[in-house]
Amino acid sequence: MAFVSPNITAIAVEATEFPDLARRYQVSGVPKTVVAGGDHEVEILGALPQDAYVDQALSALTKS
Amino acid sequence: MSLLAPADQDKLRETFNQMSRRVRLLFFTQSIGCETCTETRTILDELPALSDKIAVEEVNFVLEKEKAAQYGVDRVPAIAIAYEDAAGGNGAARDSRIRFLGAPAGYEFISLVQAVLLAGGRPSGLSEATRRKLEALDRPLTMQVFTSPT
Repeated sequence: MAFVSPNITAIAVEATEFPDLARRYQVSGVPKTVVAGGDHEVEILGALPQDAYVDQALSALTKS
Repeated sequence: MSLLAPADQDKLRETFNQMSRRVRLLFFTQSIGCETCTETRTILDELPALSDKIAVEEVNFVLEKEKAAQYGVDRVPAIAIAYEDAAGGNGAARDSRIRFLGAPAGYEFISLVQAVLLAGGRPSGLSEATRRKLEALDRPLTMQVFTSPT
């Protein structure tokens, strides 16, 4: 996704090496995606089909 | 000695052979207080040995603050994937905006290989509908994917 859109940055975080990040985002299972867009954050737990995953990620920008 | 079995090396060599662009892995590291930096370097060193299109550039996280800021790296070990747009030549490196925090061991190594292939010119596998949605994005979005080393 980052490769297609210049507005997206994608970071793979090894949770056990960075417990501070894992705690901050309350990671209790993997994979967990935390999407931050402007004022909103959206969490995606586990793996989803592409359409659902993308729609949930983009909802970080439209969530009110 | 390689971390990879000879059969895996052959397979990767063949896969990397299809890359149309040069890929540069910027490896942000520091010598003190980084438990997994050495392990990360060892893993990354596997890749240039398998393709002359892949290079690893070590960036000193302590001394090269500007570069770290440019790539938004605030902790180590971190890997930023850049690629050269122009075929051959020494075209300026372009940022893929794909990062890895922590050692890319175990399954993460496969993710790293996938990211290298993507930057190297392989189609993304995203559907046309997804691409349209992403291309319409007009504001920044940061996606952090938490994984574990198994």
